[in-house]
Amino acid sequence: MLLSDLTIEKTKEKPSCESYDCVIIGGGPAGLTAGIYTARARLKTLLLEEKAIGGEIVVADIVENYPGFPKGISGSDLTSAMEEQARSFGVEICEVGAHSIAVEGDDRIVNTTDDRRIVSKAVIIAAGTESVKLNVKGEKQFTGRGVSYCAQCDGAFFRDKEAIVIGGGDTAIGDAIFLTRFVRKLSVVHRRDKLRAEKILQEKAFGIPIIEFIWDSVVTEIKGAKTVQAVDIKNLKTGTSSTKRTDGVFIFIGTKPNTLFVKDIVTLNESGYIITTSEMGTNVPGIFAAGDVREKTVRQVSTAVGDGATAGAAVQRYIERLETVRE
Amino acid sequence: MGVLQEKDKEYLRNEFSKLKNDVRLILFTQEDGCTYCSDEKMLMDELSSLSPKIKVEYYDYGGQADKKDTYKVDKFPALIIEGAKDYGIRYYGIPAGYEFASVIEDIMDVSQGTTNLSDNSKTRLKAINRPVRIQVFVTPSCPYCPKAVRTAHKIAIENEFVTADMVEATEFPDISNRYSVQSVPKIVVNDDVEFVGALPEDQFVDGVLSALEQH
Repeated sequence: MLLSDLTIEKTKEKPSCESYDCVIIGGGPAGLTAGIYTARARLKTLLLEEKAIGGEIVVADIVENYPGFPKGISGSDLTSAMEEQARSFGVEICEVGAHSIAVEGDDRIVNTTDDRRIVSKAVIIAAGTESVKLNVKGEKQFTGRGVSYCAQCDGAFFRDKEAIVIGGGDTAIGDAIFLTRFVRKLSVVHRRDKLRAEKILQEKAFGIPIIEFIWDSVVTEIKGAKTVQAVDIKNLKTGTSSTKRTDGVFIFIGTKPNTLFVKDIVTLNESGYIITTSEMGTNVPGIFAAGDVREKTVRQVSTAVGDGATAGAAVQRYIERLETVRE
Repeated sequence: MGVLQEKDKEYLRNEFSKLKNDVRLILFTQEDGCTYCSDEKMLMDELSSLSPKIKVEYYDYGGQADKKDTYKVDKFPALIIEGAKDYGIRYYGIPAGYEFASVIEDIMDVSQGTTNLSDNSKTRLKAINRPVRIQVFVTPSCPYCPKAVRTAHKIAIENEFVTADMVEATEFPDISNRYSVQSVPKIVVNDDVEFVGALPEDQFVDGVLSALEQH
């Protein structure tokens, strides 16, 4: 950290033009890869990212299942390399969000959160997902006071303290392992009797003596005064409840798609994910979706990258067809 | 030698070629009891070497009380990024990791004396007519924090009553404890209003303006 790891942001604060061949919404692995493909096809490409370039994986301490990095690589190093690569082929990256998408003839309009109207021939939605709240008493009150959704950001506040991680997936277990650098004791509370995380992560976590597992259980309330002091835990099998002392609660129980802004234009499944063809097309010609935001079973950097490449190539074919028809 | 890589230096030289007014990086450090003071000094030296328009000034926090009062800094290391005037931009603790990006963008903004806040935000901020201090608590490993720091700093540039501090939470545990900082970014306005997260610009402005309604 610190001086060995200075981030230089090259993102622009506003787009330089009003029209593009392709606008990509979302700067995670899917969006960045799509940009590499569209820019190499010499399509004028704009990528919009509202929060942080890199998407959700940017806060992963280490990514060990993305091919090409036998020793693993941090989420931020991996995505900043992707960003540099996309930029090197001419992708313009802006720190702006998308507010809505509209169709006007052959034009696809992206309205931005800063009230800009961008005209494009094609759009790729790669807006990813965001973490789901637990929705229990005390969660909102103690957010920022012991309740956290980012181990990478907030882990340092729990040095020599006790924390619990809620969840059993890759993010929960990966971050539980990361947090043991700081905490004195860590408890993983999971609603089932086994983890969903990769086996290799499970083995690693089971091998760390300061991690304790509380199975078949859910947190029903987060309690404290100024900051978090305890959680109520209910065992779903026995029905018994108990109170556990803790200083921090890290919540990684799942994600939901960032599709509210497109719900009126593209078809979503019942969980809100965008339904696409195998070529990443949505129900609207010229609007594509890639990465975690679409309906699929495996949400990994490697599958997001595949989606991005497929979408980028599909956009190229779509625009070629569009221009052939016009001629 | 140096902390910046050659390709980054080249990028920054090019960015800094767009600077308009001179920019002064004013750094308060102290010999004793400061883990990152010498690192931050090295970083500022390197930045200033990349453009004739970037000047550095170093002061001893303990020894130069008059300067400390002029700039109203209350802890060290403290960095002030000044353009044609002091816009109220402060960094307490080293702006390393993700926060380095904020420093670069602040340099560009203060040199121009303008920001890209929306016209609506700029109009609403005119309602601020008495001193407001925004503290943005961060950690260097938080990718969402620069957005909050930058929004606060832009507000400071736009309104003369606003001072906006980045506070590197792990370097100032007592202050972080006082405000119960356990997630970043955490924003505290005048000790009256606080919120967590890199909120969109309009909501951030809401938060700052709501502090005016207190007392």
